[in-house]
Amino acid sequence: MLAPKPMGRMLIVASRDQAAPIINELYREHLFHIEDYVEQGQGGYEGFKIGTPLEGATEASAELIKVRAIENVFSVRGEDADAKQKLSTPEIQKKIEQDLPGIEKEVEGLTGARSKLDTKAKEYEQKIVELTPFKEIPLDLALLQGFKHFSVLAGYVPRDVTISVPHEIQVVKGKDRSFVLVVVTENDRARAERELQEAQFQSVSIPAETGTATARTAYYTEQIASLKKEIEAINVKLAKIKESHTDLLVACEEAFRARIEQTEAPLRFATTSKVFVAEGWVPADRIAALSAALDKVTGGKVFVSEQPVDPVHDNVPVEYNNPDFAKPAQLLMDVYSRPTYTEVDPTLVLSIMFPIFFGVIVGDVGYGLLMLALCIGLWRFMKGDEVHQFLKILRNASIMSIIFGLLFSEFLGFELPWAPIIYSRHLNIGVTEAGGHGAAIAQLLIVSVWVGILYVTLGRALGMINHARQDHGDHRLKAVLASLGWITVMWGILIAIWSMFPIPLMPDLTGLPIVAVGLSVGMVLAIVFIVMGVIFIARDAVLEIIEIPTIISHVLSYTRLTAVGLSSVAIAMVVNYMSIGMFINPGMKSLSIVGIVMIIVGVLIFLLGHAFNLALGMLDGGLHSIRLHYVEFFTKFYKGGGRKYIPFGMKRKFTED
Amino acid sequence: MADVNMTLEMVQASQVGMKAIGAGLAVGLTGVGTGVAEMGIGAAAVGAIAENKDFFGLGLLFTVIPETIVIFGLVIALLLLF
Repeated sequence: MLAPKPMGRMLIVASRDQAAPIINELYREHLFHIEDYVEQGQGGYEGFKIGTPLEGATEASAELIKVRAIENVFSVRGEDADAKQKLSTPEIQKKIEQDLPGIEKEVEGLTGARSKLDTKAKEYEQKIVELTPFKEIPLDLALLQGFKHFSVLAGYVPRDVTISVPHEIQVVKGKDRSFVLVVVTENDRARAERELQEAQFQSVSIPAETGTATARTAYYTEQIASLKKEIEAINVKLAKIKESHTDLLVACEEAFRARIEQTEAPLRFATTSKVFVAEGWVPADRIAALSAALDKVTGGKVFVSEQPVDPVHDNVPVEYNNPDFAKPAQLLMDVYSRPTYTEVDPTLVLSIMFPIFFGVIVGDVGYGLLMLALCIGLWRFMKGDEVHQFLKILRNASIMSIIFGLLFSEFLGFELPWAPIIYSRHLNIGVTEAGGHGAAIAQLLIVSVWVGILYVTLGRALGMINHARQDHGDHRLKAVLASLGWITVMWGILIAIWSMFPIPLMPDLTGLPIVAVGLSVGMVLAIVFIVMGVIFIARDAVLEIIEIPTIISHVLSYTRLTAVGLSSVAIAMVVNYMSIGMFINPGMKSLSIVGIVMIIVGVLIFLLGHAFNLALGMLDGGLHSIRLHYVEFFTKFYKGGGRKYIPFGMKRKFTED
Repeated sequence: MADVNMTLEMVQASQVGMKAIGAGLAVGLTGVGTGVAEMGIGAAAVGAIAENKDFFGLGLLFTVIPETIVIFGLVIALLLLF
């Protein structure tokens, strides 16, 4: 908790003939984060080279490409498919040998035929395009070409054209250009062409066809239709194959992927002609078990040892170590940055406080229920681990919204049948009768400032822990004291304010006795705190002094918990007032046609307004809650940039050992 | 400035109106301020995210920093109005 999983560094040495069973076992255990070996002449690694893939790597790659190609044809993806049943390794092996080649052949044949038909259809379509200009010419196209002494010129001209040599011309008038067909003798051809060029003539080639253009177009259209029918028939066949073999395909893909990853693992090991050395990270509590398992599969022909770990310089891969309920928040942590190995991991704080902040901002039973329903609905449709983690976050947030809605006594902006249990957020919008209790805005703001004070203090305290763990020598004490300095400056400012003004819900220090030069005990204490803090900060980094005003802005930033929440309450109440107060109630009074239209308009405003406010509430609630952590909290202690722990192996979905 | 013919009710009503104008200005002007400030950051952040998706968290963080300004405006408006 509040720290990543402890990791151990493991060194595996064995002779090369043991590589296959060892890799297989490591893959199955899914625990070993391989530290890739790079040939840089490190000490102790003289004479070692990067390994070569095990037998069967090339074949497996080729097979995987084939399977992926078929999956592409069917637009199937392993990640999206549901695992109906897991196939065992011998079963899948049998199917790969017996069924897969047949399927591959069939699909290849069908797609090949389909693409041939497609090409043909395209060709015919192109021919139809070429024929279009000649549709108005009622001549056999064979009569327009193949002369010895005449030339036929066809094309478009934007305006009328006059040709000075003897010629025959046919003009088809178009909208902004005309199609012309000119016949001249071979001798006059050059001159005619020049004159046509001057009239901006665009030449069109004459299709090599026999028969009139209209007849040929009809023929090609018919051909295309029959080609389309054939393509359709092939598609139906492919769909049938897809239906019956999708499970097998995704399972094969997984099996091949696993085989490739295993056979290529030696590329990450250091090897000589006789032995190989694999280095990597394993969670500390699993090292013994993994060593025993390796010993067993090799019959003791392996040397496994645990290496000492330097947590600061080793760049240890980081695996979260959180209780189950906090796991979804890891997604939000990864969006910011994964913690480093030596750092305090604030996932737990985030997982508890994010839903609470969200709940305080939204704080409405109706919206909470709607979000919960949305969450449950999306759970069915959306697949994938990350999406589900995200939905879990949303679920927790909606539950907190419902709880705070009950406390604030709010349902879509209306009041529930009891008075608010904590401070009221009901604004006096559209309230006509006297006696509405109104909102306790000042109290709400002060409570949110308290949240800010505690958060900033916690952030700096965690900063002290981080600096104490990560820094060294002289700098370590200075950095820790600087964090302490930030805390004392903040509390100094607070005590000074309390000594000057009485503020509800905060300690009142105005009545303290005066000690010297008109300063009360509180003021003296405040000055001592501030001066001490400033000295601590300046000793670490003088320029940090200009950041001191951020203490105030960061603490006050937490008032958004109240302000954003109130604005969403205000929108809800305005929507209610507009729909019910301005349209539905007057409409109910006179049930004429106008009255009914008014009621319909009112209902529409109600639905659209609350849908809008729900979307806004989710965006506001989420963004502001996460921002209060990222900006105001994390910047005080958290750096991140840790390396993700990626154990060798995979979570099998469709196959099993 | 004050019109001698104004009654007490009129003065009170106009004060309520002035408060509303003040609240509107507080939210509106701070909103403009936040928008101007986020404009450049947002554009740069989107550029960085397009280059490398890992910047999303950091980009979001930088983009929302000026958000505080409009929240202060909102707080002032709420204090004025209610």
